Amino acid sequence: MTTVIGVPAVRVRGLSHRYRGDGGPLLALAGVELEVGAGEFVALVGPSGCGKSTLLRVVAGLLEVSGGAVDVLAGSATAARAGHRVGLVTQEPGLLPWRTVAGNIALPLEVTGARADVDALLARVGIAAFARYHPHELSGGMRQRVALARALAHGPRLLLMDEPFGSLDEFAREAMGRELLRIWERDRVSVLFVTHSIREAVLLADRVLVMSAAPGRIVAELPVHLPRPRPRALDETPEFAALLHRVREALGGAP
Amino acid sequence: MSVLAGREAAGGAPEPGDLLEGTEWVAAPPSARSRARPAFGAALRIAAPPLLAAALALTLWEAWVRAFEVREYLVPAPSAVLRALAADPARYLGAARVTLAHALGGLAVGAGSAFLLAVVMAHSRPLERALYPLAILVKVTPVVAVAPLFLIWFGFNAWPKVLVAALITFFPMLVNAVTGLRSVEPAAFDFLRALDASRWQLFWKLRLPSSLPYVLAALRISVPLAVIGAVVAEWFAADTGVGQIIVIANGELDTPTLFAAVLVLALIGVTLTLAIAYIEHRVLFWHESSTGV
Ligand SMILES: Nc1ncnc2c1ncn2[C@@H]1O[C@H](COP(=O)(O)OP(=O)(O)OP(=O)(O)O)[C@@H](O)[C@H]1O
Ligand SMILES: [Mg+2]
Repeated sequence: MTTVIGVPAVRVRGLSHRYRGDGGPLLALAGVELEVGAGEFVALVGPSGCGKSTLLRVVAGLLEVSGGAVDVLAGSATAARAGHRVGLVTQEPGLLPWRTVAGNIALPLEVTGARADVDALLARVGIAAFARYHPHELSGGMRQRVALARALAHGPRLLLMDEPFGSLDEFAREAMGRELLRIWERDRVSVLFVTHSIREAVLLADRVLVMSAAPGRIVAELPVHLPRPRPRALDETPEFAALLHRVREALGGAP
Repeated sequence: MSVLAGREAAGGAPEPGDLLEGTEWVAAPPSARSRARPAFGAALRIAAPPLLAAALALTLWEAWVRAFEVREYLVPAPSAVLRALAADPARYLGAARVTLAHALGGLAVGAGSAFLLAVVMAHSRPLERALYPLAILVKVTPVVAVAPLFLIWFGFNAWPKVLVAALITFFPMLVNAVTGLRSVEPAAFDFLRALDASRWQLFWKLRLPSSLPYVLAALRISVPLAVIGAVVAEWFAADTGVGQIIVIANGELDTPTLFAAVLVLALIGVTLTLAIAYIEHRVLFWHESSTGV
């Protein structure tokens, strides 16, 4: 169980974002309130197009907001970005195909000037044997492992994950979830985890935030009081089923 | 279309290689290296059909010229062309060397400046819009119009030839390089931006390598164009190179020599194209153009 103490990793107040799209302006986010505690694992679920990626990009410092306040690691999102304190994993792994696995993991080190043991990072995500392979020689699950190791390489305090396992099959997805929890339980980086899967959200997170669309805002917050480390047969317990049910209800029948 | 053998090698399982610095994009994967030997047999298999086809065509041609006693100044037999070549090999070799230098110099100047301009244009849409019409102007200017003009401007030296070859290779490189430099994968771009990577880092680590498939494709298109540009300029100047041989042979109705000159040009073109294909094969092992089909 995580208790939120000290300065939160992410604090978003009254955030709105408007895209100046070709088909006229589009209010993607309105009045979003959100907090991720230090060392907390927060999952964000919501229907497609409700603005989850937009929100994550704002926190990553990739998008200038139209209104509201965004604090990341006790500073602005831009400052957190400039301080190399954020790691990003997206659905498309975005590896550099001309680099080996080890080379891809060295990329954030080259950019930030941080130092880390690439082999140890590879071992941490269970792909030590593939250091010299190129991405096109790996399976989808292995690529995501590389993307995870790459996001952790420069020692970020906040991990932003946008449907990181969205393109994996169910087995790989579950294995990756467990892997992520193992790493998180050791390092205690704060995690903001966007997913389409309610199951995945409840299995992984301390807290599940439910978003609704047009414009995107957070409509429910559900603490997940399940034991850590999460036991294997957790998803067969009635507590788990009850939580799933509550998240589904909060989504209001939305997919 | 793989001219070179062993493209399929890139899909094979890599063996523990000896390339620790293999993290750099220029290094070939271990897989490509370990397959180097069998590639020779594959090269033979790939080279055999075009060689056989050429041999057959030449035989038919020779037979046709002999059977119908075609006049040599109209269509010379392959044997006559070979005799012309053998009569003064040094002349053809020297001319080929000059034309090759003009073509490669033009390629360096034309494709090089086009790439630099592409870097600027890829970073700024307004600049792209401003410069694109100028680039099209360069593209539609006929070589035969500028070649004599360059001759007047620069005189009887290498410059008119190099510049005509440069002019003709400029546009393909510009268009392809702009596209290539913009073809970065959004997820990789976002990852680097989230690390606050500088423009410079984004360029070296992402944009430049991402553009390589396009840049090399442009080079493949540009190489024969550069040879044509150089020869056209040599033809107008009539002072050096294979172009000069063609002018003289034309004036004397010496058709075998004319054909021999064309043969020399073909050899230059094929050699350069193979060289580019080889570079593509080594550098782009990671790209879909070289994995499988
Ligand atoms: N670059 C953009 N320009 C204009 N509109 C955009 C842009 N990116 C997203 N949008 C719009 O903003 C809204 C939210 O998009 P966003 O990608 O954040 O949704 P999402 O919740 O991540 O969806 P999904 O679950 O399908 O990934 C959508 O209506 C989308 O059309
Ligand atoms: Mg999204």
